[in-house]
Amino acid sequence: MSEMHELIIDSTTKILKDKCTKELVDTVEKGVWPEDLWNVLVESGITTIAVPDSIGGTGGDYIDAFHILRLAGKFSLPLPLAETLITNWLLADQGESPLFEPLTFSMKDNTLEIEQVEEAYLVNGTIENVPWGRFANKILVIGQMNNQNTMALLPLEKAEIQQSSNLAGEPMDTVIFDQVKMDLDNTYQIDKDQIMKKTMLLGALAKAVMMSGALEKALDLSIQYAKEREQFGRPLFKLQVIQQYIATIAGETVASLTISNKAISAFEQGSYEEEVANAKLKVNESAGIVSEIAHQVHGAIGVTHEHQLHQLTRRLWSWREDFGDENHWAEQLANRVLNNCSQSLWEFITRSEQKEPVK
Amino acid sequence: MNKLELPIFDFTEEQKVFRNEVRSFLQEEKEKGTFESKCDSWLSGYDPAFSEKLGQKGWIGMTWPKEYGGTERSAIERYIVIEELLAIGAPVAAHWFADRQTGPLFLRFGTEKQKQEFLPKIVKGKCYFSIGLSEPNSGSDLASISTRAEKVEGGWILNGAKTWTSGAHQSHYLVVLCRTEKKDPKNRHKGMSQLLVDISSPGVTVRPIKFLTGEEHFNEVFFENVYITEGNLIGTEGNGWEQSMAELAYERSGPERILSTFPLLEELVRLLKENKDTDRLKEAMKLVTSLISLRLMSLGVAKYLEEGKDVGISAALVKDLGTKFERNVAEIARLLVSSVPSVESDIEIERYLAQSILHAPGFTLRGGTNEILRGIVAKGMVAG
Repeated sequence: MSEMHELIIDSTTKILKDKCTKELVDTVEKGVWPEDLWNVLVESGITTIAVPDSIGGTGGDYIDAFHILRLAGKFSLPLPLAETLITNWLLADQGESPLFEPLTFSMKDNTLEIEQVEEAYLVNGTIENVPWGRFANKILVIGQMNNQNTMALLPLEKAEIQQSSNLAGEPMDTVIFDQVKMDLDNTYQIDKDQIMKKTMLLGALAKAVMMSGALEKALDLSIQYAKEREQFGRPLFKLQVIQQYIATIAGETVASLTISNKAISAFEQGSYEEEVANAKLKVNESAGIVSEIAHQVHGAIGVTHEHQLHQLTRRLWSWREDFGDENHWAEQLANRVLNNCSQSLWEFITRSEQKEPVK
Repeated sequence: MNKLELPIFDFTEEQKVFRNEVRSFLQEEKEKGTFESKCDSWLSGYDPAFSEKLGQKGWIGMTWPKEYGGTERSAIERYIVIEELLAIGAPVAAHWFADRQTGPLFLRFGTEKQKQEFLPKIVKGKCYFSIGLSEPNSGSDLASISTRAEKVEGGWILNGAKTWTSGAHQSHYLVVLCRTEKKDPKNRHKGMSQLLVDISSPGVTVRPIKFLTGEEHFNEVFFENVYITEGNLIGTEGNGWEQSMAELAYERSGPERILSTFPLLEELVRLLKENKDTDRLKEAMKLVTSLISLRLMSLGVAKYLEEGKDVGISAALVKDLGTKFERNVAEIARLLVSSVPSVESDIEIERYLAQSILHAPGFTLRGGTNEILRGIVAKGMVAG
């Protein structure tokens, strides 16, 4: 890792350690927007990282960005950082400068109609499961304009927001545009399938990385608790069964970190579909295993709202469903194997590690 | 936490070419009928003729210095060879421990005479070693061993017994961890040494213990007043425990802790592809993803090992997860194909399933039980 990378990670860690406390996460879950923390992130350039500085971003690479997202997962950062970053990256792909406000996206087959009416646009349609919808200023969506697949960044102030939340209490809202008239800076003609696929992969990688961070923290908390808590006259970790649990959590955590680091490095190199599929699939599996065991280690205190553990486990459970569950990615991988019919499984697994197909 | 994070390994162009070379050779040999693929071939695939062939290719002791017959290849190139051998299920049991453990032990701690005498023979695939650690009364608690060597004129007299010694009925030599001083209850690891025993010496009795299948892999070995010359001490007298432990990181994190059932997974995926059974292939791909994550971890450990870093905890983690995975392959595969597993079946997948299911209990026991490994991991984590 470069010195620059370490500097970015260290300073982000420091910010989150100071400001992103357990109490703050609780407060945001109650519905309060953490304006101070958001501003600090914007000022430190964290919300525009990996957007080239030539178009007004912070610069840096995706490795920096995804390692910051891992920290976001570790600290249960209650802000749409992944959503804002991905939106800014998708805009940058169109040559647009980044925005410094909270953003979200929904790159799905939305039934959204955009109509040009004189100087303005008229938007109609409903978008479900919008992360952070109520707090975001704008949403990047795919809609139909003149029967063309169009990407547009829509302001949310005139949209109706039906509030809901995921398992972790993070906003997961329904956004309704009912004959909303708005000005739009720009709309983009896009290849819908291509952009949906890219967003799915970006989202899956972001979530896999954030989950790896949450796993790290669940491991830390479990170790700490096993050291401090005494039963039968000795610390919990002296009990062999607790040692077995800690080792299992450690194993799943390292497996998740390793496979998501591989996906990050593949993403930076430009060929990453399969690596992301593997990462999200594996991290999802580990999330279930670790959550169960971490709670078992913590006993009753771990299932209280007072204890921090639920901020991690609820996110882990919830994020498993975001951008593809285990079955989704396993199916993608199965199709890839089916499409490479002449290859043996071993050739498939090692194909980037061999020179040319062995006859 | 970051001490657990492993590096991502990328193969060089030369290494990719090398992988092809190894693979082509093995495929040709298989097609010629030199060997039949099987699961768990590093423990149960004994074939001295094939070991000699690998020796001729320079693929045994390949990281060792040229002066002892090695080819001074990197640890990663060795890793590639081992992976390719296990993926195809080639018989590598005969020379396995000599290549993995005893050779490196000689290089690190052996005398010049020992290196000159044994390494060239190992490299040729003609000289096989077993490792004598466990004893009838010392299983997981290895530090409690009591096999004892008494100092006499010009050497030692060895008495005691080893058990679960893989391959001793077919090997030429045995590296025995024994006590060369009286047991000290306050420092149980003190006063142990590693002695090299010629299995054909008078006083050595090898008695195979039949595996649950009736096959012979492991043995009891008895030592009755066996005379060991001074020249057969490996390393430093009294340093046996540390020397033995130093070998373990290599033993724990290699491809053999991940790939023992790979021939089964390969055949399973081939059948499901043939049937275009996406639903079941999906379940198989979940196994493949686990395998990919384990390979990345194992390669990360290999990279750190080559850089001389301490990987004790990560290596133990790889073995714990890897061996559980090996067993899982069998348990999941049997539900994805309808078959009657049998070691005698003419149908490949039925043989692989039988080999995997029957050998599976050993995966998570050999080389230290997974429970012992997890204890090591947890203690390391809590201390760190």
